[in-house]
Amino acid sequence: MNLMAEILIQVIIAFLAGSLLLGLHRKVMARVQKRPGPPIVQHLIHSLKFFFKETAIPKTVSKVFYIGIVFILALVWIVGVIAGPVAHDSLLILFGVYAVYKIVEHNSGSSSGSPYGKLSCVRAVLSAATELPLFAAIVFVYLVTGTMNIGQIITYQSVHGPLIFSIPLAALMFFMLIITKSPYSPFAITKDKALISGFETEHFGFLRGFMLFSESVAWYVMLWVFLTIFFGPLNAVGYLIGMIVITFITGFINATTPILSPNHSVMAQITIGAICFFGTILMIFTGVVA
Amino acid sequence: MLDYMIYILAFAVGSILGLLYSYKKHGEPYVAVNEFDMPSAAVSIIGWCLAFNAGNVILQAIGFLLGGLIMGERPGYGRKETALGLILAIGLYVLLKLTA
Repeated sequence: MNLMAEILIQVIIAFLAGSLLLGLHRKVMARVQKRPGPPIVQHLIHSLKFFFKETAIPKTVSKVFYIGIVFILALVWIVGVIAGPVAHDSLLILFGVYAVYKIVEHNSGSSSGSPYGKLSCVRAVLSAATELPLFAAIVFVYLVTGTMNIGQIITYQSVHGPLIFSIPLAALMFFMLIITKSPYSPFAITKDKALISGFETEHFGFLRGFMLFSESVAWYVMLWVFLTIFFGPLNAVGYLIGMIVITFITGFINATTPILSPNHSVMAQITIGAICFFGTILMIFTGVVA
Repeated sequence: MLDYMIYILAFAVGSILGLLYSYKKHGEPYVAVNEFDMPSAAVSIIGWCLAFNAGNVILQAIGFLLGGLIMGERPGYGRKETALGLILAIGLYVLLKLTA
């Protein structure tokens, strides 16, 4: 198939599947809290709705930056789709995507001129604590498989079995990133409700539409990468079941856990990351990991 | 991947149509519905059975559209019908796999 067509199809799948999964996430949270919850398709409808809403631009914003940042955000996650599901390219590109996403989160808040956005932007720097365990997880995958290429990691797993069984603590580190990025997460300090919607507070209309589009694509890409590098070669049904199960687990965790204060969030992430990091090193040196 | 895009698109469109239809049909505030709606169950069973077992992209897409139509109904409606449809469709899928 033509590469451009493949990219377009994968982006549409990522957006629709991500939106439906985030809708399911809200539904799970609602059912755990004994509420009926919105329909599963509601997140998708919300995302589409914003593209047709009036776009108001506050006077306090840094205009070029304020508008440009949402396109960069969408572009960053489209690159994520291209590097992951389309090209099965290097994990380092995906790490780069997360790093740029952090910068976008930061700048989106600072460009808005709103105190809520600015506080969220400061917290975005603090929450970079999530990216350290992610980098460590990627390094361990490299140490075990000898490659950063997703295609070759899949091939390795088809011969040696899924990596979740050989480096489970590295998988746990990656899973912590998924929990952090999930909506209403205990670690989501940038979107704490005390900050309204955090760095998204001052983005309205189609600008918010792009942000919701990116959120959905981001959720799909994160789950896809996690399932691919730790659960070996999967078919479409395997991915579907895996994504639904992870969405259920994160929904359950987020529904029952209050949001942590920024310092507790960072300390909890670093502590879990450190335990998993040294645990995996111990496993490698004691020969548990072949 | 084109077929998966068609399926997920059909499911999303079906869910949106189901939501619009059920809000038109049931305008009352939220109530937990315990009655079993036979026509919805029939649509759900046909939909999910087609989606999982038709073996043809167009028929499967129609199946996902019909399945989404009932699954996407407003909260409180279409849950039992969807569960029945999914159980029968998965059962049929396993049966066909075993006998193939």
